[in-house]
Amino acid sequence: MNLFFSNISMIFNINLIHSTIRSSTPVLFAALASVLTQQADILNVGIEGIMLTSSFVAVIISYFTGSWVLALIAAMFTGLIFAVIIAISHLNFKADVFAIGMAINMIALALTRFLLQKILKTSGSFYDKAIVPLPRFNIAFFSNNATLKSLFSGYSLFEILGIPLVFYVSFMIYKTVWGLRLRCVGQNAMAAATAGINVYNKKFEMILWSGILAGIAGAHLSLGYSQMFTENMTNGRGFMGVAAMFFGGANPLWTWIGCLIFGFTDAIASNLQSFGLPPQFMLMIPYLMTVIVLAAAMARYVKIEKYSKSALVSSAKSSKEA
Amino acid sequence: MFKNSVKNTLLTIVLSLLVGALLMLVFSYNPIYAYNELIKGAFSNAFNFGGTLEKFVPLLLTALAFAVSAKVSIANVGVEGELYLGAIAAAWAGVAFKGLPPFIHILISFFIAMMVGGLWAAIPGALRAYWRVNEVCTTILLNYVAKYFTAYAVNYPLSAHMGVPRTPDIASSATLLRILPPSRANIGLFISLAVYLFVWFMIQRTTLGYKIRSVGANVEYSRSIGINSKRIMISGMILSGAIGGLAGAIEVMGIYGYFLDNFSTGIAFDGMLVSLIAINDFRLIPILALFLAVLKQGSLGMERFTGIPKALIDIITALFILLAALQLLQSLRSSKLLHKFSKKKELA
Repeated sequence: MNLFFSNISMIFNINLIHSTIRSSTPVLFAALASVLTQQADILNVGIEGIMLTSSFVAVIISYFTGSWVLALIAAMFTGLIFAVIIAISHLNFKADVFAIGMAINMIALALTRFLLQKILKTSGSFYDKAIVPLPRFNIAFFSNNATLKSLFSGYSLFEILGIPLVFYVSFMIYKTVWGLRLRCVGQNAMAAATAGINVYNKKFEMILWSGILAGIAGAHLSLGYSQMFTENMTNGRGFMGVAAMFFGGANPLWTWIGCLIFGFTDAIASNLQSFGLPPQFMLMIPYLMTVIVLAAAMARYVKIEKYSKSALVSSAKSSKEA
Repeated sequence: MFKNSVKNTLLTIVLSLLVGALLMLVFSYNPIYAYNELIKGAFSNAFNFGGTLEKFVPLLLTALAFAVSAKVSIANVGVEGELYLGAIAAAWAGVAFKGLPPFIHILISFFIAMMVGGLWAAIPGALRAYWRVNEVCTTILLNYVAKYFTAYAVNYPLSAHMGVPRTPDIASSATLLRILPPSRANIGLFISLAVYLFVWFMIQRTTLGYKIRSVGANVEYSRSIGINSKRIMISGMILSGAIGGLAGAIEVMGIYGYFLDNFSTGIAFDGMLVSLIAINDFRLIPILALFLAVLKQGSLGMERFTGIPKALIDIITALFILLAALQLLQSLRSSKLLHKFSKKKELA
């Protein structure tokens, strides 16, 4: 019995909260980026690539200038450039946004690999003491109590800023004129245009915001979450963000919960490794869990929709299904 | 329509090669020399040409797999995972069955690989059809699951215990015949072309193909004429996954002879991009797959002789896709400037 409890506490312990927030934050920023475009009815799959490139840029700038502020600005700027490419090709050249997103992901992978060889003369990964990370907040008051220290201390800048950002984005989308217009564009672009909203400008603006957020996600990944750059270091986190967005139905609060579920499974999986579980399973669990949770959430949406249908409108609504 | 897309593709190829040349100039390489080495690296002798064909086969099959799923309006980004699972299944079947005649052994291995790939693809297909779970998300995430599963299998139960994570060599009765001896090109080339023609015929000329096209074009209409659209969506995904699994099996049985952990560096993603450029037009797929195979094989020789990193060619490839997605020719035609010009012509 005692052994059982000690085993359980190896998996579930107070540090879990910290590691949940830690591993959910990069996904959270990617998810918020995809929430913003999804509200304008654009599925942005290029977030993964934007994240990867801006994490590279952040590391480079931080390494050469020694300033995390400049690195962060550069990462956001990188995100902005990619966003402009996506926006122009989608909105002006009518390109399929999925194809563009995938192409952006490919460019990011090749470009970072190429520049890693060209600028830093290495391949695979880059780590150096000269890389200045994002600030981490240690609160002296909590440092003498291990539990409090684990709970409230040692968070990186965006691990803290992410939480108010969720509420801010939620407020902007649901409580402001700006957000009302955004949702209008997303739900029925033609109606929005009739009401005098410039659909083109709105969509363009949302892709730009999404790029900036993805840039922050990248900077956090390479300078906050870790302190190095590795080839393909995003490893699907951008896509997980998109999954979390679908889980939350493009609502920032529910999306955040989706990210926390992902972070929690990730944290538990890494604790499970000490029980001799093959490392491949540990790596697999968060992805598998994301799919399961997403499927369960969508199943619930579909079920609710079925129940809420009245007999009269059912034929009209059912045609929208599948 | 077809003529236009061919023109558009040619324009894009030229444009992306020009942009690539510019990039090379920026990094002070000689683009003419580089492209010359690229062409040599892809065609100059049996080994190089074989290498091109070797890369062409999985590109053709994975592009086909994506195009089939796109016909039921599902974007199957999970071909990479199906390729991995098909490959490990073929590697298992190649070792597990012994003493079978070659033809039978190959057929059984193919069948198992296609089953595994098809069933794996059926999961996101069913989730999409019944619960409207976005397939781009699920397939991408399931790719990681499949990849880590094969990594586990190749490290533990199926390991050859050789230091590198790989399975034991498959039986000689399961290996595919090589056709250009110094290279690893094999009869998988003919198999893939046959599969391509068969699938094309099936989509265009059979009842199932009609249903698939109908569901892809208009779900409501299909439902009205009595097609079970959900079931057709899943069938389309199973077909797509089976082709992906076959691509993996050919890689193992024709090229490597065993399953190597992490052997595919995004083959299926390249295939998907081929299909996206072709806008799922079956006729363009082999041409574009060949073009990409030439780039991939040629870039190896180019890297060796000119020192230009392979990653630069990857950038050019990605740019090519970006430009192709823009539908430049169409956009140029519909742009105001040309529009005015053509109108004046008509008046005159």
